Amino acid sequence: MYGWAGKILKIDLTTGDITTEPTEAYADQYLGGRGLGVRLIYDNYKPGTDAFDPSNPLIFNTGPLSGTALPGSGRVDVTALSPMSNLRAKSNFGAYWGPELKFCGYDHLMITGKAEKPCYISIKNGRVEIRDAGNVWGQDTFTTQKLIQEELGDPETKVVCIGPAGEKLVRFACLLTETGDAAGRSGMGAVMGSKNLKAVAVRGNGVIQLAKPKEFLDLSIQINNEIRKHPTYEELSQWGVSRGVKMMYEMGFFPVGYFEDVCWDEIIEKYAAAEYVEKHQMKNVGCYCCPNRCMNFFNVPELGKGVTSCEPFSGFTGAVWNLDMDTFWEATLKVNKMGMDCTETSACIGLLMELHHDKLITANDTDGIAMERGSKEAILGIIDKIAAREGIGDLLADGPMKTAEKFGPEAVEKVDICKGLAPHAYEFRSFKGSGLMQAVGHRGDPLPLRGSLLEVDWHFANDWFQQVAKEQFGDEQAAIPTSYVGKARSAVLSEHMERVADNMGICKWLYGLFIYNDVNMACDIFNLATGKDWSIEEILKTSERVRNLERMFDVRQGLRRVDDSLPKKFFEQPLENGPYKGEVLDKEKFEKMKDEYYEIRGWNKNTGIPTKDKLVELGLDDVAQAIPDA
Amino acid sequence: MALKTLIIDASKCTGCRSCESYCALKHEDVCSPSKGRVHVIKWEQEGIYVPINCMRCEEPACEMACPKQATFRNFETGAMEVDATRCIGCYSCVFACPFGATFVDSQDGRVLKCDLCGGDPTCVKVCPTQAITCEEISHEAYMKLVQNAECIPQLVKQAVGGSEG
Repeated sequence: MYGWAGKILKIDLTTGDITTEPTEAYADQYLGGRGLGVRLIYDNYKPGTDAFDPSNPLIFNTGPLSGTALPGSGRVDVTALSPMSNLRAKSNFGAYWGPELKFCGYDHLMITGKAEKPCYISIKNGRVEIRDAGNVWGQDTFTTQKLIQEELGDPETKVVCIGPAGEKLVRFACLLTETGDAAGRSGMGAVMGSKNLKAVAVRGNGVIQLAKPKEFLDLSIQINNEIRKHPTYEELSQWGVSRGVKMMYEMGFFPVGYFEDVCWDEIIEKYAAAEYVEKHQMKNVGCYCCPNRCMNFFNVPELGKGVTSCEPFSGFTGAVWNLDMDTFWEATLKVNKMGMDCTETSACIGLLMELHHDKLITANDTDGIAMERGSKEAILGIIDKIAAREGIGDLLADGPMKTAEKFGPEAVEKVDICKGLAPHAYEFRSFKGSGLMQAVGHRGDPLPLRGSLLEVDWHFANDWFQQVAKEQFGDEQAAIPTSYVGKARSAVLSEHMERVADNMGICKWLYGLFIYNDVNMACDIFNLATGKDWSIEEILKTSERVRNLERMFDVRQGLRRVDDSLPKKFFEQPLENGPYKGEVLDKEKFEKMKDEYYEIRGWNKNTGIPTKDKLVELGLDDVAQAIPDA
Repeated sequence: MALKTLIIDASKCTGCRSCESYCALKHEDVCSPSKGRVHVIKWEQEGIYVPINCMRCEEPACEMACPKQATFRNFETGAMEVDATRCIGCYSCVFACPFGATFVDSQDGRVLKCDLCGGDPTCVKVCPTQAITCEEISHEAYMKLVQNAECIPQLVKQAVGGSEG
C-alpha cells in the first residue's frame, strides 16, 4: 500500500499472543487514523464490559499521512472505552511516536488483555516483545522514558508511557511522550494502567511508500513554505498560545474559576504568560516535520524543563484563580510527570475552590488544605494527592461527581460535567454555537472545530468572518457568537472537516483551521500519497460515516438525546459582567438548535439515534441492525 | 558555479526532523528519516538538538580513507560524494569521519552522503528556523562554521550534564 504501512498489530497481554491483520480491508470505508480506530473499537469492544476489564481494547491509530515528510504528520489518535464517560474515548497526541510506529510497519496498534505483572511493550521494526517493567513501575513519565531508552540501548527509541497516576487508576490519567505531548483527555492512562502496561516503546527504520513521491515532495515543500508565511505562524512559532490566551480572557471566551463568571479584572490586567515566555523560554518546539512549533519549551531554574501548549495556560491560571506563573509551571510539570490530564485536574481544583468559596466545604474536608481561590498550596497539594490517590485525592481520582456526592446534594448541584468529562473551559453562555458543539459533540469538544473558532475570529473582523460563515456554512449568523441561527449546520460541517485531518493522521490545528480553512489541501496531498483519486465529497462522506459510527458506539452504551446537554448553570445563571454581561443560554432556543442538528444529520429528533436510512446510506448496514427501539 | 556548503547552527534547531525526512524523500522517493543524509541527535528532555551533516572538510578523512577512490569532491557544487560503482562497502569512510556524518542505509548497506542536492538543498527549503542554511564558501562562511562547531561540545555537555550545563 502507498501511504499506509499496511498492517494492524494486535497484542493480547493476557495470552502474550501477537498477531497482525491487513489495514487494506478497512481503508476504503474508514480511511485510517481516528476513523479506522472507530471501526476497530466498535468491533472489538464487548458491550457491557467495564473500562478496566482486560478485554477493553486500547487502540493507537495513525493515518496514511502520519510519518510522511509533511507538516503536521506526527499525530496519533487513541481510543478505548473511557473510564470517565463509559463512552468511546477520544484522545490524540503528537511529537514523534506515531511516525516511529509507522516506520516499524504498523498503522494501528490494538492492545487487549492484562499482563500478570507490570510490563512494557517494545516494538523494533517487525520485532515485538513484552518486557518486564519492574525497573520503571512507580517512576514518573520523564524518568520512565529515559530508563527504557537506556534499557533498550537506543536513545532514539520513542516511548509513550503512563506515570504513577495511571498505575493507580486515576480515572483521568493520561499517556505522555517526550516532556508534554499527551493523550490527555478521557482517561487513556488509566486504561493502560489497568492492563499492567507501563509503556510502549517504538523504534523503526522502515519506509512509507508514496504513490507519487516527486509531486508529493513539491506540494509538501509548498505547504511548509505557505505555513511559514502565515500571520498565525508568526505568532505561534514565537509565543505559542501565551499571548492568545490573554486575548481569550479579554474576549470573554475563557471563563474564570469553575465556570463562575468571566472577566476577572485582575487576570486581564496581570496575566503574565508572555512575560514568562520572554524570561524562561529556551525555544518553541513542535511535532514531527512541523514548522509551526506551537509548544513552548521552558527552562525555569529550580523548577525544571519541559514543553507545554494550550490547556495549562488557562487551566493552571484563570481556571484556578492563579496569577503566579511559577505556580502555573510547577503545576504543569507535576501533572505531566505524574501523567494526568491537566484539564480534568484543574477542573477538580476549581470545583473544590468554588465549594470552599461558597462555604460548602472547609479545610477539614480536604485534608487540611484550605481551598482558597488561587492558593499555591491548594493547587500543588491537590495534584500530589490525586496522583497518589491519597485522602481527598482518592475521591477526586474517581471524578468530580464521586467527590461532590460525599459533600452532599448542594455540592452535587455545583458539578459541571458533560458526558462524564469536565467541559472544555469556554464560556458557552455567550458562545452559543460552541455550546451546541460541546453538547452534541462526540466526547463533547467544540475546539478546534471551525465553527467554534469562527465565533472567536468574528471579534477581529465582524463583516469579514460573517462572509466566511455564509460561504462555508450557509449563514452569516453562524459567525456571531450570541446568535442561535446557522449554528447547527456549522456544527455538522465542522465535525466532518475535523475528521478529515484526524482520519489521515495529521494535525487538525494545521489543516483546515489556521492554515487553509478548508480541506482541499489535505485531500490533494492524500491522493498523491496513496494513489487514490478521492474527491473532497468522498473524503467528507467518510467523515460522516465515522461520525455516525462513533454515535452508534455511544448509543450502544446508552447515550440518548438527553445526554447531549450542558451543565445547568449555563441555562440558569446569566453572566454578571464582561463584554457579554447578561448572556445566558435560552433552553428553548438551545433545544431548537439541537433539533436542527439532528435533522441535518438524519438522526431521530426524539432519541438522538441515527436513523436506519442514514446508516444504510453510509454503508453501515450491519450497524443499522443494532439500532435500539428507543 | 561557486562552491557551497551547508552551515548548521545547532542552537537554532528545534528537532522537528524535517531535514531528515525531506532529504530521504528527495533522494530515495520514500518517507524514512533513517535514509536521510542528515541526522538530528536529540536530547528531547533538555530541549537540545544537534543536526549532523557532512562538513565538506578541506582534507576529507573519508576521501583519504577510501581504498577505491570512490569518495570524491564534486567541484561543481563543493559536495563530497560517493561513486556507488566504485564503492566496495568497506565503510572506511564511515569510520574515518570525525563528525559521524557519513551514514549507512540500514536496509541495504549503501553509504549515504550529502550531495547538496546538486547545489539547491531540500533541507534548507524546509528548515523552519534557518538552523540549516546553504552558503557560498567564503571567509565569512568559514567563520560561521567554526563558531557553530564550537557551540556543539557546549550543547552536548549541557544536554548530558543536565540543566545546570
